[in-house]
Amino acid sequence: MKVREYPRARMDCLTREFGDELLVYDQQRNVGHCLNPTAAATWKLCDGKNGPPDLAKILTRQFSEPIDEPVVLLALEELSKARLLVGVEKPVRRTSRREAIRAIGIAGAIALPLVTSLVAPTPARAASCLANGKPCGSNVQCCSGKCGNGGHCGA
Amino acid sequence: MKKLDRLGWAAGIGVRAFGVHTGVRVNAAGVLPRIFSLLPPGWKSSQRATVQRLYSLVVAGNSQRPGLRRMHMLYADSERIARDAELGEVLAALETDLHRYVAEASPDMTFLHAGVVGWQGRAILLPGRSLSGKTSLVREMLRLGATYYSDEFAVVDDSGKVHPFPRPLGIREDATYAQTKYSADKLGAKSGVKPLPVGAVVICKYRAGAWWKPRPLSPGQGALELMGSSIAVRVEPQHTLRRIHNLANRAVFVKGTRGEACESAAAILNLLSSDIRQEKA
Repeated sequence: MKVREYPRARMDCLTREFGDELLVYDQQRNVGHCLNPTAAATWKLCDGKNGPPDLAKILTRQFSEPIDEPVVLLALEELSKARLLVGVEKPVRRTSRREAIRAIGIAGAIALPLVTSLVAPTPARAASCLANGKPCGSNVQCCSGKCGNGGHCGA
Repeated sequence: MKKLDRLGWAAGIGVRAFGVHTGVRVNAAGVLPRIFSLLPPGWKSSQRATVQRLYSLVVAGNSQRPGLRRMHMLYADSERIARDAELGEVLAALETDLHRYVAEASPDMTFLHAGVVGWQGRAILLPGRSLSGKTSLVREMLRLGATYYSDEFAVVDDSGKVHPFPRPLGIREDATYAQTKYSADKLGAKSGVKPLPVGAVVICKYRAGAWWKPRPLSPGQGALELMGSSIAVRVEPQHTLRRIHNLANRAVFVKGTRGEACESAAAILNLLSSDIRQEKA
């Protein structure tokens, strides 16, 4: 994985806070992301001026819990995979979740950073219609608008 | 479109529903009454000269020429969206497309693909794709005394409250997946009138023989699931996110696999009841 040495969060996404979680909508790719509190806090601090060691220090202060660099690197990896960071410049050593758990400690009060993503549906996909291959009675029942192939929705 | 306009149109109606203006014109005036029952719930007649989408229904004549199949045709603006020898099929296409268009274009509301019932002054949302069993669950909850709001769309306003969209329930009864329509009345249930705050959002999938053991979802995860059921999130992401945010304020989110509707419906209603009891306490 590669991220900037001083990671910067994308500013062109829509965001909404749900408690400590953050819902981010990427309008360019039509993908929604739910950032858990650790990932959300890390993303908010990615201003292009803080490197992973700085982020670890600031997060430690914010959560009042020791947060080591492997946790920050894991968060940056998750955010980078979700394409929520700007630019791709410097390769970063991969951090396994196991390594991050070790860094947090078994009794750690903070959750491992996690980004859950979901592609926003098109209007037709979001509404009621049958997928290809499903049995159908008429064209209007199919998402593709074609009920053929012996009574099955087709492309 | 000009070619279509030149055809002889016998009757038509302007329709306003959820802030969206559409029109339907037909070449046979006798068909118009059948169209009224297909319009979105709460529609009103509109006199506006221009509409956002115009449907043109061409009903085939009664030619007896051997070997000639007369087809009914439906156009949305200039695009043909249905062509069938059965008028019922074409009318079903009109209903589907019109409802979907209103859901997509409404400026005032966000439409989520979900079944909705009212229970003890709160709404229960059952988001899900087609064939996920929304309608069966809604039907079962109605049997247990819930109020009918919709089996297709949760209509969410700016404050996050859910408005009724009480179209007849489309129940799939055979292997062709064809739907039979039943009004809530016919099923012995009441239809909701007032907008309700959301009490619970239940994301479930049907699997024969499964036990209903839902796991709680965080508000953020729940909101992401709702975003995945939104009709117009690609078109209006800002409004959609704001309304989902307001909706999620007081809601409980759970997700799981369910077995038969009769077993899980009661459990879901109990979930909301106990949440309301806790809140009052």
